[in-house]
Amino acid sequence: MKMAKQEYDSSVQAGEPVGVIAAQSLGEPGTQMVLRTFHMVGAAATAIATSGLPRIIELLDAKKVPSSPIMRVYLKESYAKSFAKADEIANKISEIKMGSVMRRAVENFSKGKILIILNAQSMQAMDLTARQVAARLGKELGVEARVGEHGNIIVSTHTKNLKEVRAITVKATRSIVNGIEGAGRAMVTQAKDGEFYIESAGSNIEPVMQVEGVDASRIYTNDLFATYRVFGIEAARNTLVLELKKTLEDQDISVNDRHISLIADAMTADGTIQSIGRHGLVGRKESVFAKAAFEETVKHLINAAAFGQIDYMRGVTENILVGKQIPLGTGSVKLTIKRKEGKKK
Amino acid sequence: MSMQAEVIKQIKFGIFSQDQIKKLSVAKLTVPDTYNEDGYPIDGGLLDQRLGVIDPGLVCKTCGGRAKTCPGHFGHIELVRPVIHSEFAKIINMLLQATCQKCHRILLNNEQIGIFKEAMSKEIESEVAAGDLASDKHAEQAMLKKLKSVKKCPHCQTVQEKLKFSMPTYFYLGERRLKPDEIRDMLAKINDDDLTLIGVDPRTSRPEALVLNALLVPPVDVRPSITLETGERSEDDLTHKLVDIMRINQRLEQNINAGAPQIIIDDLWELLQYHVTTYFNNETSGIPPARHRSGRALKTIAQRLKGKEGRFRYNLSGKRVNYSARTVISVDPAIDIDEVGVPSAIAEKLTVPFYVTEWNLEAAKKLLERNEYPMVLNVVALDGKRKRILDTNKEELIKELKPGYILERQLRDGDIALFNRQPSLHRISIMAHRVKVLPGKTFRITYPATAPYNADFDGDEMNLHIPQTLEAQAEAKYLMAVQNQIFSPRDGAVIIANGWDGVIGTYLLTQDDSYMTKEDAEHLLSTAGIRELPKHSKNGMYSGKSVFSMLLPKGLDFEVPQGNGKFVIKDGELVEGVVDKKMYGEGRSNKLFAAIVMGYGFAALQDFLTKSSRLSYAFTTLFGVTIGVKEYMLTETLAKDKESTLADTQGRVKGLIEQYKSKKLEPLLGLTLRQSLEQTIMVELDLARGKAIQMLNKNTDESNFAMLMANSGARANILNMEQMSMFLGQQATREGGRIKRGYYTNRVVPHIAKNDSSSGAHGFVSNGFVDGLTPIEMIMHAVGGRGTVIQKGLLTQRSGYLQRRLANALQDYYVLHDNSVRDVNNNVIETIYGGDAIDPTKVEFSKQKKE
Repeated sequence: MKMAKQEYDSSVQAGEPVGVIAAQSLGEPGTQMVLRTFHMVGAAATAIATSGLPRIIELLDAKKVPSSPIMRVYLKESYAKSFAKADEIANKISEIKMGSVMRRAVENFSKGKILIILNAQSMQAMDLTARQVAARLGKELGVEARVGEHGNIIVSTHTKNLKEVRAITVKATRSIVNGIEGAGRAMVTQAKDGEFYIESAGSNIEPVMQVEGVDASRIYTNDLFATYRVFGIEAARNTLVLELKKTLEDQDISVNDRHISLIADAMTADGTIQSIGRHGLVGRKESVFAKAAFEETVKHLINAAAFGQIDYMRGVTENILVGKQIPLGTGSVKLTIKRKEGKKK
Repeated sequence: MSMQAEVIKQIKFGIFSQDQIKKLSVAKLTVPDTYNEDGYPIDGGLLDQRLGVIDPGLVCKTCGGRAKTCPGHFGHIELVRPVIHSEFAKIINMLLQATCQKCHRILLNNEQIGIFKEAMSKEIESEVAAGDLASDKHAEQAMLKKLKSVKKCPHCQTVQEKLKFSMPTYFYLGERRLKPDEIRDMLAKINDDDLTLIGVDPRTSRPEALVLNALLVPPVDVRPSITLETGERSEDDLTHKLVDIMRINQRLEQNINAGAPQIIIDDLWELLQYHVTTYFNNETSGIPPARHRSGRALKTIAQRLKGKEGRFRYNLSGKRVNYSARTVISVDPAIDIDEVGVPSAIAEKLTVPFYVTEWNLEAAKKLLERNEYPMVLNVVALDGKRKRILDTNKEELIKELKPGYILERQLRDGDIALFNRQPSLHRISIMAHRVKVLPGKTFRITYPATAPYNADFDGDEMNLHIPQTLEAQAEAKYLMAVQNQIFSPRDGAVIIANGWDGVIGTYLLTQDDSYMTKEDAEHLLSTAGIRELPKHSKNGMYSGKSVFSMLLPKGLDFEVPQGNGKFVIKDGELVEGVVDKKMYGEGRSNKLFAAIVMGYGFAALQDFLTKSSRLSYAFTTLFGVTIGVKEYMLTETLAKDKESTLADTQGRVKGLIEQYKSKKLEPLLGLTLRQSLEQTIMVELDLARGKAIQMLNKNTDESNFAMLMANSGARANILNMEQMSMFLGQQATREGGRIKRGYYTNRVVPHIAKNDSSSGAHGFVSNGFVDGLTPIEMIMHAVGGRGTVIQKGLLTQRSGYLQRRLANALQDYYVLHDNSVRDVNNNVIETIYGGDAIDPTKVEFSKQKKE
């Protein structure tokens, strides 16, 4: 009976078409994600972030800006231990727009002045004073803004032109009055090990990294291209892996890490971030036929003809088109010694 | 089976020059018509017999072949005025922009040319092997963009006028419209070296050929006319288009010869351009599509190639096949997991080649002699000709049979077949089964084999393919066999395993208090195919665990945690734990299968799977498992539990609404007060369901079959039970919140007060299916159901496209012998696959090894 015992090696075999397997492993459960979004039990505080299939598509499309950006800002040791210190930094980062702290704006066109009436309740909730708001607003608009009676803000424009005053009003209501543009609402959170860090529902890591007390080396964002700009392609690759993994895990879909990292590696192999699709990996293929069989058939054929391009028939699609064996799997091996005469006729 | 004579190594694209077209052409076509009154093709017409024949009986005037043997030949039309090939208009524009309007040299000075040539040669050198044209293409494209802004020619110092291109085929130099013949002259004067710099290979793609003087006419085989039942002939869209072109061409010629005014000639010229443009692409933007008499837009050349139903995706990437069958599937627990039941009617039609050699000549003759199933249907002689066996030629064929002949015999038990269900989302949507010929009209598979196909038996149909070469059969048998696909390549989880009755039986059987008489044990084991009894018995009674252990491979040691305890197999004996779905069903929690494969191989696992399913079915039958409404009727305690849970939840929701109204509610971060209220209510309502499940778990009798079913993992879970017997709970919408929109302002249905935020008003259903829903609840449920249907349709589309893109992007990647991942041009994608070169299918094996 010992003969029956077999040892199974778990290593990959040469020729294994790992690309297709990775593609299928991520694509096949796509249909399952569909149904599962319903069973999401809302954990109260988390913002409604893009998740599931739309997020996966967004990542593989290599969209320049994520539709729901998130930042995790870790702090230097001296700040990370106290809530108060962390909160102070969070307040510096947290992006607040004028619109969310004001009740209304009253324009005095003849004087070219705008009176902004603040919402005391939300001002308090956001830990802001009228003076801070006025100072920041003035800086953003490039005009004088001061605190007037009842803690309201008076903006003095340089013009009495009706249109221009209105334009400034609109600009003022949209202006940010605290924090860093794009950084989103930031909140202090405590990690399991007791460390305080900041989570934010927006992302703009370049200026945030400059903030005193922020540990720039540990900052995390789900914005691929920001990561690529600041930390380089390897970091972007890791972000891609982490985000794909997290999205799949949230949907209770188990996909082996090797598939995910292959996809991320493929997308970043040439040192830039390439999307999965006609503008990215497929569009960059060498083979005319592979491109033509995917999308924009006519365009690729026309270009090939105009430039006199050659298809070297090395890929999968090309060989299927002409009825040859594909160069992967059992098709990737050949006889080294060929019999001199062919098969008997 | 014919061998490949030539291998296509590469395919070069290019443009036919006007001379080449005339050389290639077998006929100059002059008559803009198809058939004459007698129904014969007109000479010089579009179906000229020199272009090949499609009518049976006619002979091709070029090659002398008949409809079947003549491949068709190209003809040509000579256009009296040249027209631009509209598809290449952008390329023409690029070339004109890049070259001087007077001396037609490239708008780069000699120094720049030198730099560029050097850069190109370097790139070519470093990428000889890779043959990667993409990168230098990019450099060129960037360079060409710059050329547009060059004001003065560096060679002849001519100031460049503004060249305007307007879709689809108009070019203006300053204000003056450039006619196609002028454009051709300009293109013709660009020298070969400059073209090479731009990236054009002048040997095959001289750009002046993009302005057409002669139009190549495809053979009739490409555009066959169809004869309708009425005897009427209907021409192909391309033929129609070519007739149009020729008509206008003729009119233009007549007008020119008659010395018509320039305006009329220009108009006709324009019309000729339109027809040629739509001949190539009838969806060219900026011009109305040419239409058939019926109003349908014509399908011209571009439309034939493009898209899902185009030549590439429909006919080249996917091809129709022979040796295949399709029918409805149904279940058969009596066959093995790697078998497929094939209806005898199909088995009699499908064939498998029997290759005659000098060693099996006698067997071949015997096979050929047979008159009933399984017999030979066709014989393929040495010349490759296939002959159908008839009573009349059988004797003769037996006599002439010699090595090299191929007999096509009927399908029989044990043959290898590929079985497939669409959509083929992953590789295990096609697996190899052994054929088992059975009576009936459906394909039969076992329950465990349905999972990878995602099949069920509510009318699903599947396809069967019979591999025809020995190589294909061998690959199918060893790489694609069902028992080799038990573990998923996605995450190494078990996907082929027992479920339903196949789990509930072993679950009941292996309970701690499960004991049975000798007779029962004998019955169960013999059903599973075992002819021995367990060694140990207690007062003549055999424990369920010991009976189950008879299926386990001898000497197997295995231990994993289970619930609060352990699941232990020692020396092939189940000593502790219950065999439920977590232990041996689908999913990653099943570690037992990997242990069996590691120690005993896939065949042993297959054996275990088959036997255990039979044992389980037998025990389920013996035990008697049945469910009915009674399983879902609430006991008094549970009814009280339900009421209190609902009252409790509704009270809290009311409280929250009160808080909201009095503005005492704490807003959640980043949300408005209203949103915060919705969020907290949602959480509260979700919790209610959880609480109900807890109650159900606590206060339901263990012998409740619905509970048993959920606990063993056979089917359904407690949530399903809760929704039936207690309350359905919150109905969701596509947006993820509670149902808020309806036909009416501020309420979902008119039976609710406006602006009511309470649970019932927004889709919380507080009745279960057993009690029945109120009419309002039913509407809420329908709203939820409709949302699910819409979302499902929407997202399957999206995920389908995603998968197509992924597969197209990654299909060329494979693992090389050094464990690196390469594309087919040998570029490295990963230095070591996954960092450790471990196959995800086999991850569970490596874990087992460590232990």
